[in-house]
Amino acid sequence: MKKFKKKHKYEGLLVVIEGTDGSGKSTQLELLKRSLQAQSYGVMVSEWKTSRLIANVIDDAKERNLLNATTYSLLYAADFVDRLENQIIPALQSGFIVLLDRYYYTALARDVVRGQNIEWVKNLYECAPEPDLIFYLDMPVDVLLKRIIGTTGLNYYESGRDVGFSTDFYKSFEIYQNKCLEQYNKMKKEYNFKSIDGTKSIEEIHEIMQGEVQKILDSGVLY
Amino acid sequence: MSRLTEKHNLPGTLVCVEGIDGSGKSTQITLLRDWLKASGKDVIFTEWNSSDLISQTTKLAKKKNMLSPRTFSLLHAVDFADRFKQVIGPALKAGFIVLADRYAYTAFARDVARGVDPNWVRNVYSFAYQPDLALYFDIDPKTSMERICSNRTPKFYEAGMDLKLSNDPYESYIIFQSRVIKEYQKMVDEFGLIKLNANDSIHSKQIEIRRLLKEVLSAKGENI
Repeated sequence: MKKFKKKHKYEGLLVVIEGTDGSGKSTQLELLKRSLQAQSYGVMVSEWKTSRLIANVIDDAKERNLLNATTYSLLYAADFVDRLENQIIPALQSGFIVLLDRYYYTALARDVVRGQNIEWVKNLYECAPEPDLIFYLDMPVDVLLKRIIGTTGLNYYESGRDVGFSTDFYKSFEIYQNKCLEQYNKMKKEYNFKSIDGTKSIEEIHEIMQGEVQKILDSGVLY
Repeated sequence: MSRLTEKHNLPGTLVCVEGIDGSGKSTQITLLRDWLKASGKDVIFTEWNSSDLISQTTKLAKKKNMLSPRTFSLLHAVDFADRFKQVIGPALKAGFIVLADRYAYTAFARDVARGVDPNWVRNVYSFAYQPDLALYFDIDPKTSMERICSNRTPKFYEAGMDLKLSNDPYESYIIFQSRVIKEYQKMVDEFGLIKLNANDSIHSKQIEIRRLLKEVLSAKGENI
């Protein structure tokens, strides 16, 4: 078998799961982590907006409604760069499989929907290494709506209320998530997403993801 | 592409002062503010790293030495963007004279001195309006250090200790601030910063600054 060619200069493997809110990313990430660890691979997981430096600033600012589109973009970029430099790159250098819940594609989708120039946003994330594999959980908006209403409920930013599409939560969520999906659809091709039907069962999705990662591992890339 | 290189055409007037610490820019901008207010002008003052949103976080992170050059740069950009969108932009639209103690050029000087890519950081700040008057206070690093460190050692980031240039904070300060000055020097041509000699007297500098501002205002058909 031909050895997989990594997309970056590091020892490890970079795998990203993308998708809108409620598409099942964290569930899949957890399953993937367990199955890889079971095979004795070193796995590191990092989620969007979790840097020790900045994550609670974002939460606090959102709660107090202090963010405009530009500070929103820049804060998320700061969070990302902090995690990139302190967790992601060190782990990749040591040969870990790094599993990421969201990557800068999330920022591209959300920031562009908030009116930012896409080139400006791309520049913010220019230091991000290219992932070896990007899974995208594709979900229709009506299914998403049901999932989110049934679990966490609609929140202000996930519904894009800050953008001012509509004062009605349901309507705003629908418009906002549709616009995000539009952006994701544009990126699918550009960044070579492995798109997976998010309405499939948890097990089915896991099997597809595991299969894709396994193909790369079986080529001996981490030996 | 960048607003920093085109005229803003808003009713207000944007003035900024730049230079390393101890160059006397804050003294001058305070004098300018008092004079403008006394002359009945609508004036707003804003300073670097002072937004409600993030300045406390940045200060805390600095204390703990948690910042890489890129996160340092992004956090200051957050601070600037917050003040830009909430204060500077609206005030310019409403016809105010906005006085900024440090502007995007501070980021271009400091961040690049820390090794951040010059084009990257210029792109980050591409949303910022071009000032009508950008003053650069030129001072040598030794005089700057004598002024601000007469009774304390240089602080970690102001001395560029994060770059491990020297274990001695005084020596590190001189090396790092020399790099910052070099970046400012380049911007005199690139952005048309007006260079003032920081060693001139407070009085003579203030006379020069008022003259420059009068020129800018009269070009807009305003008198003072």
